[in-house]
Amino acid sequence: MGRYVIRRLGQMVVVLFGATVILFCCLFVLPGDPVGSLGGDKARDPAVVEQLRERYGLNDPLPVQYGNFVKNLAQGDLGEDYTQRRPVTEVLGPKLVNTAQLALAAIVLDIAIGLLAGLIAALFRYSFWDVLITLLTTMAVGFPSFVIGMVLQKVFVIQLEWVPLISDGTMKSLILPAFTLAILDAALVARLMRGTMLEVLRADYVKTAVAKGLPRRTVLLKHVMRNSIIPVVTYLGISFGSLLGGALITEAIFNWDGIGLALVQAVQQQNNPIIIGVVSFGVGVFVLLNLIVDLLYAVLDPRIRLA
Amino acid sequence: MRGATSAKWVVGAVIVAMAATACGGGDDSKDSAGKGGGTFRLGITEPTAIDPYNAQESEGALVAHNLFTGLYSATPDGKLKPELAEAVQTSDDGKTWTFKIKSGTKFSNGEVVDAEAFIRGWTRVVAKESASDVAYPFDGINGYKELNGGTATPFAGLSAPDANTLKVELSAADFEFDKKTVHQAFSPVPKAAGPASNKAYNDAPIGNGPFKMEGSWQHNKSITLVRNDDYGFEKAKLDKVEISILNAANGATLEYQGFQSGQFDWARMPTPQQSVAKAKYEPKKQWVEADTSGINYLVAFNETAPLNNPDARKAISYAIDRDAIAKGVFQGLQKPATSILPPSFADTYQDGVCTSCVKQDKDKAKEYAAKGGLKPGTVLDFGYNTGGGHEEWVQAVAQQLKDVLGLEVKLNGKPFKEALAQQQTKGTSGLWRSAWGADYPTPDNFLFPLLDSGSINPDESGKALGDNRGRYNNPKFDELITQARGTKDPAARAKLYQEAEKLAVDTEQAVIPLWKRTQYRLAATDKFTNVKMDFFEDPNLAEIAAK
Repeated sequence: MGRYVIRRLGQMVVVLFGATVILFCCLFVLPGDPVGSLGGDKARDPAVVEQLRERYGLNDPLPVQYGNFVKNLAQGDLGEDYTQRRPVTEVLGPKLVNTAQLALAAIVLDIAIGLLAGLIAALFRYSFWDVLITLLTTMAVGFPSFVIGMVLQKVFVIQLEWVPLISDGTMKSLILPAFTLAILDAALVARLMRGTMLEVLRADYVKTAVAKGLPRRTVLLKHVMRNSIIPVVTYLGISFGSLLGGALITEAIFNWDGIGLALVQAVQQQNNPIIIGVVSFGVGVFVLLNLIVDLLYAVLDPRIRLA
Repeated sequence: MRGATSAKWVVGAVIVAMAATACGGGDDSKDSAGKGGGTFRLGITEPTAIDPYNAQESEGALVAHNLFTGLYSATPDGKLKPELAEAVQTSDDGKTWTFKIKSGTKFSNGEVVDAEAFIRGWTRVVAKESASDVAYPFDGINGYKELNGGTATPFAGLSAPDANTLKVELSAADFEFDKKTVHQAFSPVPKAAGPASNKAYNDAPIGNGPFKMEGSWQHNKSITLVRNDDYGFEKAKLDKVEISILNAANGATLEYQGFQSGQFDWARMPTPQQSVAKAKYEPKKQWVEADTSGINYLVAFNETAPLNNPDARKAISYAIDRDAIAKGVFQGLQKPATSILPPSFADTYQDGVCTSCVKQDKDKAKEYAAKGGLKPGTVLDFGYNTGGGHEEWVQAVAQQLKDVLGLEVKLNGKPFKEALAQQQTKGTSGLWRSAWGADYPTPDNFLFPLLDSGSINPDESGKALGDNRGRYNNPKFDELITQARGTKDPAARAKLYQEAEKLAVDTEQAVIPLWKRTQYRLAATDKFTNVKMDFFEDPNLAEIAAK
């Protein structure tokens, strides 16, 4: 297993290399000069453009720029962003923490709501609760997150004034954005859970377990849950990965200073060091999470061997 | 009318790198002094910088102007108000300016504000290694090229004959140099500032203004200002200003919501909500409205067919029904412009100077089109930058050009940087939507960058690096501008600027003015008195008082 992990980590380096090379080429072929204009609608003074091109090594050929990037990256230096001229690590650091906070809160809500709802729906199939959950999850999947976010904001921030509009760093201001993010995923998790669980409940080994007189709780926890949770874990892994990539709309609505918005703004401004920083981070996280999910399979299902 | 969703163009440009004038608020006829104290709260988007060496857009200017006091400030109607400049002398050739600086005022760290502090500050902006975006207003000062190019370190044109005298030598006559100094880049800085790369100072500048920083700038979170009790002029009344930093994608909406829920005392609002907000807040006297120092216009590419002659450009201008679009698309919240210089510059404003802008005239449009070779079916490129909410009105203009002149209008929407690259390219033809805002209250700041041949600034490949992207090139116009700059008498100077504007905007229709720059804000006049929009479209924090 140790070997397996090392090999997967080695693959991650290759993936990161490929991703950054592609990214570099894409950014390079974009029309327009990344330092050619100010934030708004004004062109930059040509003398300043030249100074900045020199400062950021933009006059070097692409392979040289990439080489410098890799060299600096090895030292943990992602360069300086083009607008505020602050180190990228300093700009992105707090944003990553914020994004991670929000993603974690959302995934916890996800698991709690999704698993519980799925469980109830499967165990009491065709009951009132099952129908209600099916209805609610269908609605949750149907509503775009900006509608959910804006409605929550209108009610709890502007009408009731329970939560401050601008995050004050407390748990309270985390609830609404986390809930907005979690709601869609929780619905999907609930439906997934219900589906797989119904399948497992019909499986022969469950019938055997019941027939040999095991208590219902043991059957459910040891046999049913454990076997029906694998697809859910896969889904949650991917979902957590994309949550860590930032949640553009939710961040914008709740003024959550995360990497989703940072990326979009950076793309608009062609603020390349920020784009490269966010994307490299995203790729890294995705690969790592996939590895963790694969390792979890082995824990959940002893039949799966990692080699 | 449709209209509602798209007219975001004023607030749309995520950070509008503009500064402009305002004509007072729509409220507070009562001039009670207020009891003082209080905390004023507002939201802005993350500025590029608050250190005067690179503070540039309205948001950065807001903070820098409250942390620093320079030689002059600008009143909302674009007049100069002396601050540290006690007296000024201008040589008859307009090349030497001598400012007497008020003695005895201090930076908030106790350092003295003297002529050296100005020289230090200005040198810091222009120095090559600063790579400042706001060095250009200094380019008329002797030694700018050398300092900015890195071949000399002291700023040759600046000297201090004594501690409180600042002597500025220019390379060409400029009788309006004093007006440039209202820009925050002209702030004095203390020795503690160090070079522009001093990160600690960048995030917590020590200044001599009505407010000072409380702690450092919390990036993407907040900036807190507190009253500077050692201020050398009339002290601010507010105790504190809490500035929340909002994301650019949703800034105006958050400001508006924050105002509605009582968490902000000053706010912009999303354009589609403006008419609703006006109906609700104008009766409460919480609505602030001003025509500021900016213009929305169409660049016409003067060098390339089909708009390479004045008649063709006049045909376009006559064909546009500005009133209909102002009412239909903008719900009456944008006003047609009939000049390139804004009404806030009272000395030079000429209402209706652009004859073809006053009213749509289909017959004249057709007549000029025939003269100018703009036959029906002619292909006309019409470019605009996407993401600024311009789509709807741009389409309306295109439709009018099709209907009236039978042109085949090709709309060409591009993200700003790509749009810029295309506008700069030699051989680009047709129209491009554009906007301009003044950095300082002088007509020169419109006419020179937008229309003087010196502002085309082509590189070897013919790419126009200057702001005169339409490449209007008329030696007679250039001559008028040079003459105006060298004219000492303000009335005679204003006349020359007016003459220049008439030549370029009316006789030759080099550009096509569309709408004035009108700004709307909400202000908590129930809690504060004397809240107004200043020249830079920001609240006048130093004069606001709690009720």
